[in-house]
Amino acid sequence: MSTAATSGAGVPVIEVRGLRKEYPGVLAVDDASFSVAPGEVLGLVGKNGAGKSTVIKMLAGLVTPDAGEVLVDGEPQALTSSHAASLLGISVVHQELALVPRSSVAENVFLGLPYPRRAGLFVDWSALHGRARAVLERLGLAVDPRTPVDELSVAQQRMVMIARCLAWDARVVVLDEPTASLTDDEISHLLEVIRQLADAGVAIVYVSHRLEEVLGATDRVVVMRDGSVVADLETATLTKQTLVAGITGEAGASESQTVHVERTGRPPGAELLRVTGLTRAPALHGVDLVLREGEVLGLAGLVGAGRTELARVLFGVDAPDGGTITVRGKDVVLRSPRAAMRERIALLPEDRRHQGNDTAQSIRQNTTLPTLNRHRGVSWLPRPSAARERVASEEMVGRLGIKARDTEVAVGTLSGGNQQKVVLAKWLVHGADVFVFDEPTAGIDVEGKADVYGIVGELADAGKAVLFISSDLPELAAVSDRVVVLREGRVVAELTGSQVTESQILHHCYGGEAAVASA
Amino acid sequence: MATGQTDAPAGGDPGLVGAGTAARPAAEPKGVGGGARPPGRRRPGWVQLVARGGVLVALLLVVVAFGIARPDTFLTTNNLNAILQQAAAPAILAIGLTVPLALGEFDLSIGAMVGLGGASALALITLHGVAWPAAVLLALGIGLLVGLVNGVFIAYLGASSFVQTLAMGVILLGVEYLFTNQQTLFSGVPQGYKDLGQSDAILGVNIQIWLALLVAVLMYLFLEQTETGRRIYAVGGNPDAARFAGVSVKRLRVLGFVIVAVAAVVTGILITAQGGSSQPNAGVPFLLPAYAAAFLGSATFRPGTFNVPGTVVAVLFLGVIQTGLQMLQIATAWINIIQGVVLIAAMLISRLERKHA
Repeated sequence: MSTAATSGAGVPVIEVRGLRKEYPGVLAVDDASFSVAPGEVLGLVGKNGAGKSTVIKMLAGLVTPDAGEVLVDGEPQALTSSHAASLLGISVVHQELALVPRSSVAENVFLGLPYPRRAGLFVDWSALHGRARAVLERLGLAVDPRTPVDELSVAQQRMVMIARCLAWDARVVVLDEPTASLTDDEISHLLEVIRQLADAGVAIVYVSHRLEEVLGATDRVVVMRDGSVVADLETATLTKQTLVAGITGEAGASESQTVHVERTGRPPGAELLRVTGLTRAPALHGVDLVLREGEVLGLAGLVGAGRTELARVLFGVDAPDGGTITVRGKDVVLRSPRAAMRERIALLPEDRRHQGNDTAQSIRQNTTLPTLNRHRGVSWLPRPSAARERVASEEMVGRLGIKARDTEVAVGTLSGGNQQKVVLAKWLVHGADVFVFDEPTAGIDVEGKADVYGIVGELADAGKAVLFISSDLPELAAVSDRVVVLREGRVVAELTGSQVTESQILHHCYGGEAAVASA
Repeated sequence: MATGQTDAPAGGDPGLVGAGTAARPAAEPKGVGGGARPPGRRRPGWVQLVARGGVLVALLLVVVAFGIARPDTFLTTNNLNAILQQAAAPAILAIGLTVPLALGEFDLSIGAMVGLGGASALALITLHGVAWPAAVLLALGIGLLVGLVNGVFIAYLGASSFVQTLAMGVILLGVEYLFTNQQTLFSGVPQGYKDLGQSDAILGVNIQIWLALLVAVLMYLFLEQTETGRRIYAVGGNPDAARFAGVSVKRLRVLGFVIVAVAAVVTGILITAQGGSSQPNAGVPFLLPAYAAAFLGSATFRPGTFNVPGTVVAVLFLGVIQTGLQMLQIATAWINIIQGVVLIAAMLISRLERKHA
């Protein structure tokens, strides 16, 4: 079981051999072998469901492998708990922020480690803050260690999680989608920090769907597919196309195929939704926009520009302070998601984990939740017929390519992309005229993204209006007929036709001089 | 399976495309149909069966055990009838409690509501000369009102369930004392009212048992077979996701508090009807057994989920050990300890089952 391309990089600090993990009905990891040397940045890529998450969990000591072994400094080790993994110098920065919100930065950095004490009993806070400051300095993070972490930005919180790895003297740091929901500047800073850590001899495993970042930041890339490592190559030899091909297992997949939406090219029809002067403090300050039948309106903006806030107001989750929402020429007040659904508006929420599904329930039960009264066995009896629900959900499983044994499995057992498809299935069964998609492809693999684009195209061609929110600008430019750019709660630009390009969108997102640096 | 591993940088596309060009369909059959593979570490079916039907099996076992230990007294029609009758009123409360629990809420005022429910009906009859059917309706109305207040304060005004229902329990106890002056009410209770707890006109079986059976069937159908029931479980599972799917989360929460409050009044009425009297502060001892039954029930049939059949079996189980242990003349102290241990054991079994589900 030789791992390629490690020659000359020294003794691997960590090596996994033949890892395997099977869950009931799902072989999550079949055969994973790779190694990382000190000072090396290893990219780990693969579709959702390829087995990356399970491998990470095994390295973190959260999941026990069925077979295979993990060697640290050449010695086989049993990673029986996350504590055991930490003691061996393996630290994992999970995708979700795992911090104690109301505790200080210093407390979070040293969480689980013994605090310095005074008289052997009381916490020596000044010593703790001093140590924290030293760690934060190494990361170039200029925050007071006494700040509660919930007052920090997402990027800073992620840095705190990385600081925790340093506090533990980690020799292997696993980063799972570390750049999700970060701005470009924050991303480049993070990548610099990663490079510094590597230069200091830390072995990095960098897990991401953002292939440009993987290509830019790593020394070597391991590709997983269907639970196995299918490639292990020097980054210098790779291009985005070859990487995509490796991930999908399809020859000749090219970049243009990644974001491609089939459309009939019909011009948009009548006005469906009009938003005038929509205000909600502190995020929205007088937003105007119009959505027509059969069009995809892209909504661009940096984090904090007010995109999600707008989506929430349109779906009746939050009430606006001012302004009007007009649906099919009629002013409406949307007091709840139910009210929005009556106006035939649907929302695919950004926070899939908390707002998407009841993960303990089955695909069938989640899919039919908004439409329970349409699946009755007897029309006058408010009793859902499981058989009818199954027909509806099975149709969606087929249409959206949801990978599951059957529609009775709990949604929680599915990969992130498939969970997102279940949320989508809900709204396709329910039907709507206006679909608001808030970051529908975040954390989804290449194939899943293509499936989502396909659905967006189908909906628009069927005369629906789609409001498409995405931070992935190439995707936004490819999917949208028209793009509205939000900045600080205001519409700052509307781009149509040939103006809909990544650089134009970016230009308006940053506004003025900043655009030159970023574009 | 590492057929796609390429040792040398391939330089072109094909190098990466080794294993399974039809990646998507290939992902599915794995692990499901693959016969050559060892079965992994799935728990054997009988373990799951024991965990799911655990309390039911335990119930049968203790019935048999007590039957053997006390053959002359335990397995007699009279005794079983008595156990069922004793379990009936607490069962109605526990079944009612299953609804807010399924919604992810809880209500600590239900014990005091039992007391006020029975006491208010009896006070209206004996002290104010109200006809008993009207008194029963008025008591049920009080329950409805209390449930509404709890629900609206918690769901719409953002009160914490803990503080709201704890405080409501104290208030209800105060109101009960206002109604009854902390007196035991027993004189002038009409037979019609007593019959609500004592009649065995139907097949010689006590009316409370019939009533509990009716409530159990109706609530089972409500929670597991109706659209509203499905929405209730959706709210309990993930309230945000339910709201984003158009479920009226707040209204359902109010409904949950109303149902349990009304169930508590019914329980209170049955107790006072059976005894023909109302003692001060008689309801509070009903609080913990109701939670014990609901939680024990959540370990049964649908582990991790509060469900009516589970609650019913749990009430019977707790009732049988109570009566059986009393018949074996075991000290009350030990009966308490045994019941507590049984509850914790049931929870652990349910957790284990869930972990592996």
